[in-house]
Amino acid sequence: MSQDLESQLRAALRPIAPSASFEKKLIASVTNDPQHSQPKPDRRGGAGWHSRTRWLSVAAAACLLIGVGLQGRMQLRRERENGLEARRQVVEALRVTSQKLDLAYEIVKSQSSSFADDNPGA
Amino acid sequence: MNEAVRQFTDHELALARNGDARALTALVLAHQRSVYSLALRMLGTRDLAEDLAQDVFMQLNRNLKSIESRQHLAFWLRKVTSFRAIDQLRQRARLATTSFDEDLHLEGDTHAHLYSDAGASDPLLQRHLKLLLEELSPPARAVVLLRYQEDLDPLDIARTLEMPINTVKSHLKRSLEIMRQKTPGARLSRGEDQSI
Repeated sequence: MSQDLESQLRAALRPIAPSASFEKKLIASVTNDPQHSQPKPDRRGGAGWHSRTRWLSVAAAACLLIGVGLQGRMQLRRERENGLEARRQVVEALRVTSQKLDLAYEIVKSQSSSFADDNPGA
Repeated sequence: MNEAVRQFTDHELALARNGDARALTALVLAHQRSVYSLALRMLGTRDLAEDLAQDVFMQLNRNLKSIESRQHLAFWLRKVTSFRAIDQLRQRARLATTSFDEDLHLEGDTHAHLYSDAGASDPLLQRHLKLLLEELSPPARAVVLLRYQEDLDPLDIARTLEMPINTVKSHLKRSLEIMRQKTPGARLSRGEDQSI
């Protein structure tokens, strides 16, 4: 061997062409790969399968958000109504209590005045 | 490989990204030799090499949007081919015993013209070197192939195989040393490994 190992290696490892049949098969499989044609826009202007799914997901998420919002609003409304009813009941209770106290005051007052009339020296 | 990269234009790459069949065909024609040869010399049989080459191009087809330039394309192809071949070799230990007979057979018949212009180089020695390549570990084999088949420098090999550059240099030195020891009459001495 008169030449250096590296140049012999380069010569030994020059690229090999694949067979013609494989070349045809390879080109056919790459150019007809359905994965590649999916991102192409729909020629009729409509959304593709991916975009339809995406829109459906967005719509479902929007419905969910609206539902949760409505639920929250109804809950708030119920709580407000309950609060108003409680306030009304408290006011009514205070009114009744006030009436009772007034009545009691009147009784006590009338009793103390009749006692003073009966005992003028007291 | 570099010649092939020049032949495939940026315009064709842009067209290929959009699924243009002609541009995809040009891409395959420009790079199939490199990918197939790398796969064949890593795996040792034509069937496995064809399967791997096809898988690599299909994977590329699905990732074309992420390819930024022709150089990136060549880098991506070498990297994916090397990694997948190394994985296959590791997974299938039985392949370690597979010889390069088929490669030699190919060379001897339908593809003999590829070697007929070897000029002053020694065909018997080249066969012997290819058989020695089989004895190397999968990463070392990938390093040697990227260096002497793809003509990459050690830094590019390190980037392609995601290896430290010192590991690449060490693989190259050790592989050449093994080949030198097992090649009678090899004159290249340690100090002559200028290209590493």
